Amino acid sequence: MANELRFLVVDDFSTMRRIVRNLLKESGYTEADEAEDGVAALQKLRASTFDFVVSDINMPNMNGFQLLTEIKKDEKLKHIPVLMVTAEARKEDIVLAAQSGAAGYIVKPFTKATLEDKVNLILAKAGLK
Amino acid sequence: MNATQSNNPASAAGAAVSPDIHQSIGMLTRQLHDSLNGLGLTDKVKGWAGELPDAKSRLSYIARLTGEAAEKVLNRVDQAKAQHDHIAAETRRIGALIVKDPVAAVAKGHVMNFLTDVEESTRQVDQHLTEIMMAQDFHDLTGQVIAKVVNLAANIEEQLVQLLIQTAPPDAVVKASAPAPVAEYQPALAGPAVNTAGNPDVVTGQSEVDDLLASLGF
Repeated sequence: MANELRFLVVDDFSTMRRIVRNLLKESGYTEADEAEDGVAALQKLRASTFDFVVSDINMPNMNGFQLLTEIKKDEKLKHIPVLMVTAEARKEDIVLAAQSGAAGYIVKPFTKATLEDKVNLILAKAGLK
Repeated sequence: MNATQSNNPASAAGAAVSPDIHQSIGMLTRQLHDSLNGLGLTDKVKGWAGELPDAKSRLSYIARLTGEAAEKVLNRVDQAKAQHDHIAAETRRIGALIVKDPVAAVAKGHVMNFLTDVEESTRQVDQHLTEIMMAQDFHDLTGQVIAKVVNLAANIEEQLVQLLIQTAPPDAVVKASAPAPVAEYQPALAGPAVNTAGNPDVVTGQSEVDDLLASLGF
């Protein structure tokens, strides 16, 4: 089941996209695509099928909050869990993300265990695992 | 040349022109003050004064993160190399035992022990490789902080160029062109928390994030 899930990793830093993709792969989630900002992510989400989004917040063109809002107001996308993985450590940002519909929030730098735990927890809550 | 000049010419000359220098500095200071006021830059200068220590702490943050990442990578490489050397040595030892007496090597459990050893070592090497990969996350965090410092420097440069243009003598031969517009810094997102100590508005780690969200019912 886990291997069939498709992830979209959104971050403007290619290093971080590679790290997150590799960690997902090590956790058994081998199907992952990536996007460098919210605009590119939305295009990919609307053009294909994804089960999970892992998104940064501070990005050019469209940031993670804007992407989250767009996903949650789109009837076809709003069911997709969005996990924010970000350097934004302000409490108000964390609360805003949760109120905007984020399924989880991870602050950078993070560990492999943290990402794996959050992804598994969110998937279980969503009935995807 | 007399004795006084040869002993300390600078102080002698300084004593002679001191009132003029003070007067000149005073006039320049007044002129700068008036210019800044005229240009409406006094608030911005005050802003720079506040931002420069922040830039300093951001640069310290970058130095700390890159240093920690390098240290982490080197430590993990050392450990992985030790594991690798161990497996290489064990492979040679078991190879020699098998060549000498294959049946005894299996019967006495040398081969099985070796396979277990290899499995454990490769698991540990894999962990080291994962940690080496994770150490590269400094690139993202420092990149965001560097962008903020560069924005600050560009902003100060732009304002100083404007000041030069507007205070240049009217008969200046070379006319400075207007500076290129600098991309405006948008402070809506704070980026990595450089100084978390004593700041109640930011979290210091993932456990605080989880506690905050749990307290809100998420």
